[in-house]
Formats: sequence, C-alpha cells, structure tokens
Amino acid sequence: MAPVPAGEAFSERQNDDIVRAIRLARQQSDLPVSVYVGTLEGDPRDLAMVLHGALGAAAEQSVLVAVDPGARRLEIVTGKGVRRRLDDRSAGLAAMAMTSAFQGGDLSGGIASGILSLAEHAHTPRSLHTGTR
Amino acid sequence: MSARTLSALQEYDDGEVPAEGISDLAALLVYVGIPALLFLVIAVLVLAPSMARGPRYRPGLGWWAAPVWFNGPDDADSAVRHATATAEGGGASARW
Repeated sequence: MAPVPAGEAFSERQNDDIVRAIRLARQQSDLPVSVYVGTLEGDPRDLAMVLHGALGAAAEQSVLVAVDPGARRLEIVTGKGVRRRLDDRSAGLAAMAMTSAFQGGDLSGGIASGILSLAEHAHTPRSLHTGTR
Repeated sequence: MSARTLSALQEYDDGEVPAEGISDLAALLVYVGIPALLFLVIAVLVLAPSMARGPRYRPGLGWWAAPVWFNGPDDADSAVRHATATAEGGGASARW
C-alpha cells in the first residue's frame, strides 16, 4: 500500500518540542542536528547517508536523525568532523532512548529526548587553560 | 371486589391535586431528548481531547503524513538530487 500523505506529521506543540530540542543542542553543545521524518525508501542507511550529504557544507559537522515511522527504522548519521566528539556508542545510546519512546507511540517526545541525549554526549566542557574553545 | 372498594381506590388522598397529563411531544422531549443530549455531551467530552490532538502515531499502523525535515536544506528536493552520500560518517541504526 503506497503511503498517502494526509495531514501534518506533528501538531504545533510537538513541532515546537522538536525545534526547541534542536535549538538547545546548538546552544549547549554547538551541535547542529537535522531531523528528517518520513519514508526511507530502498536501503534506509544509504538514503540517510544521502540526506546527510544533502546538508551540504555543514554536513561534516552535523548530525542527521532520520526516522521512518512506517517502516519503524531509525538512522543517525554523524559527519566526519562531529564523529570525534560524538562516537557511535553515544549515537547508539541516543537511538535506544528514541526507539523506546517510539514503541510507546511518542514520536515527537522520542525525537526531542534523543536530540538532547546526543547533545549531552557531544558536550565538551570548555577548558580554561589551553586557550582553545 | 365490591363496587364500594373500587370507587374508594379512585379517590384521591388528602392534599393530592391531580394535574393534566403531559403531551406526547413533551414526554418524548423529557424521556428521549434529554438523555440523548446528555449522551452527546458526554461523548463530546470524551472524544474532544484526542480529536484536538489529531491523529496519533501508532507503531505498526503505518505512516500517513508527508515527510518533514527540521533544520534541513532550504530546497530539499534539489539538495537531495545533487547530494553526494556521506562516506566517512558514523552513527547508529535502530529498529523498533
């Protein structure tokens, strides 16, 4: 059965939750997060990589969270540059936090808490003695 | 039963004042209309919150909405068409 788009994916309030989480990640950890919610046709991982690549010049420092609610797939793609402070184990932990919420039917809440989890792991405390930020 | 006791039954008690019966329409309104109205009010009270929230995601029942991309490229279609897939990326995959 082909998916027929009907209606908005999220209510205004759910939208705000996700947007706020993205903003917090940027403010607290300087982590640009992009969230795609829709079908991932073909190989989900490959398509998620393409979507991550579509972020352009910012891709290397960005994290893409791709969610396919229909196929129940979640892909987190981290750019080459951001991978240093956000390793795959941390991404896996965030993925687990998200999927456990998704199982309960809470799509926006899972995405928001997953983003915050990513931000928390990517957080690098400012060192005061090396002169670098 | 004798005629005397029968007529005694039809008499009214002290202080009892007989009133006119209500019409069919009034009876219908009171015994059908009001309960139906009450039923409707309760049904609305129960259903309104979930209707206000809109359709809810339920795992296993498919997905109905158009794709959304938060913090994505400005022109998503052309960006995806001209994109080169990230090669040295990391991350995680999960199912639920």
